[in-house]
Amino acid sequence: MSVIAPNFKFSEFVKSILDNVFWILLIFVLIGLPAVFIILFYIEMPVINGELLTPFLALTWLADPSRTLPILKAFMTTDLFKIAAFPGFGFAALIAAGTIFIERKMLAKLQLRVGPFYCGKFEGILQLMGDGLKLLSKEIIIPAKADKPIFWAAPIIFVATAAAFVALIPVAPGWVVADVDVGLLAVFAIIGFFPIITILSAWSSNSKFPFIGGIRALHQMVSFEIPLILSLLGVVILTGTLNLSEIVASQSNFPWIIFLPIGAIIFFITILAELERIPFDLPEAESEIVAGWLTEFSGMIYGLVQLGTYLKLYAFAALFVVLFLGGWSGPMIWPPFPEEIITDGIVMGPITAKIPGLPVFSQEMLNGVLWFVLKTVGVIFFILLPRGVFPRIRIDMLLSLGWYKLIGLAFVNIFIALGLLYAGVLGPGGIL
Amino acid sequence: MADAIFLALSVITIGSAIAALELRSLIYGSIALMGTLGGIAGFFLLLDSPFVAMFQLAVYVGSIAVLILFTVMLVKRELIFKKVEDKRRKFVGIALMLVFMVALGSIIMNSGIKTITTDEPAVDFRNIGADFLTYYWPALILMALILTGSVTGALILARREDVENEQRTD
Repeated sequence: MSVIAPNFKFSEFVKSILDNVFWILLIFVLIGLPAVFIILFYIEMPVINGELLTPFLALTWLADPSRTLPILKAFMTTDLFKIAAFPGFGFAALIAAGTIFIERKMLAKLQLRVGPFYCGKFEGILQLMGDGLKLLSKEIIIPAKADKPIFWAAPIIFVATAAAFVALIPVAPGWVVADVDVGLLAVFAIIGFFPIITILSAWSSNSKFPFIGGIRALHQMVSFEIPLILSLLGVVILTGTLNLSEIVASQSNFPWIIFLPIGAIIFFITILAELERIPFDLPEAESEIVAGWLTEFSGMIYGLVQLGTYLKLYAFAALFVVLFLGGWSGPMIWPPFPEEIITDGIVMGPITAKIPGLPVFSQEMLNGVLWFVLKTVGVIFFILLPRGVFPRIRIDMLLSLGWYKLIGLAFVNIFIALGLLYAGVLGPGGIL
Repeated sequence: MADAIFLALSVITIGSAIAALELRSLIYGSIALMGTLGGIAGFFLLLDSPFVAMFQLAVYVGSIAVLILFTVMLVKRELIFKKVEDKRRKFVGIALMLVFMVALGSIIMNSGIKTITTDEPAVDFRNIGADFLTYYWPALILMALILTGSVTGALILARREDVENEQRTD
């Protein structure tokens, strides 16, 4: 039928899947379940409501629908859920995946192409899944003279650093993985790791194109970190705090972009440079140095670097939203949860299902997440847009932009913030 | 718990410091140096001063280690290293280190560190900023002047008249 697999038979495909299911079930029953019970025998189980939580009881609760929601809600308050799923890695990876698809499709439309089109029936909507499967199944080729430990470790550390950045972003009131007092300083500290990882991975692949790309990335990131840090000081001066949640809470009336537009513009330009996006994509300039510091990566190593890059993009866009656009604050547009479901339960003809534990999320939280995601997607759109429009600039233009113009403008921004503070307009004890 | 973390951090810090000195590969040596500097940031976190810890990470790991890596990658190692190693130098080095450790240790032990109570709340970083701008302002100005002087000096030293304006068109 198809050219790729000439001996493909659907019946044999189904049979192989059923075979695998059978063996997995058999091995799980014979080895897995006894192992689980042996482990449970040694673990001290907690006492809940005066009852010892045996595995049997736990399974009963999980199967009982009226008990499932409270267990789910209890799980959602744990650190594991926050790190892995909602404000942390899973949520950010979902937005990152969406960003990749939107970027390809939108750029294609901008440049009068069709973009991903055939994968999936509608507008290539399954292209991303196909790409992911391709990357997962591809062979990872390591250059013969590469420095193997660093070459293997660099993509993983890259994703880990991006995830650490994501962990600092507050998504809704109280929904943040790491609510630290010095959140903005932690952001600066984490941003400082990216050039190290880049240059180490570039050096370790022992090839000239990655090395040139890595050196360019180092120049670019290190020189744009300074205006990035300086442009955010205005917000810190006006709010008097470094905690990101408090910075968002201070913008309940108006976002800081109204008073500090210069700082916002500088921060946006430095975001573009830190993310190595066009017009600052010198480290990956594909017409000059193949793919820059990514040249030697293949298979899932490349996939990890791409994932880290887009996690970083989400984190920077979210930081822009948190600092300048007011984070989760916005008018309440999410409808309230219907009261009668909480009091009477769901009535379907003769059956009435009372579900304790509703609502799962509060209205404020859902509204906050909605506004946060809307603003973040808007900022991501503006980060993607130059790629379809602008050419790449030269490295001397890049460095002079970073060192002369942006740093100067950042100081102008700081003086505007100080002026607003000392004139008594804003800040602690101001009139607004 | 804190003791276990302290021990682990000490092992990481001292171990990577020794590795930074002893490793033959310069790149791995500088990575080990990053481990040392990061371990010191961990000590600051254990001491309830995240402000200093974050600056330690941002400045030492984020900037100084990058500069060291950059230099190591761009300079041929034969030019900066001549392998002179004999037993006498090694023993003298170890003896010198011991003398320094004893001297520093005695200074720290006599500085009244034993009388510090450990249950006090952590110092707010706003107080640090306020102190810098009020009581310690001469030190701040002096540091700023030294930094400006060194940056200007570096710019003048790095300037090369012969290659300037060669490729620039604008």
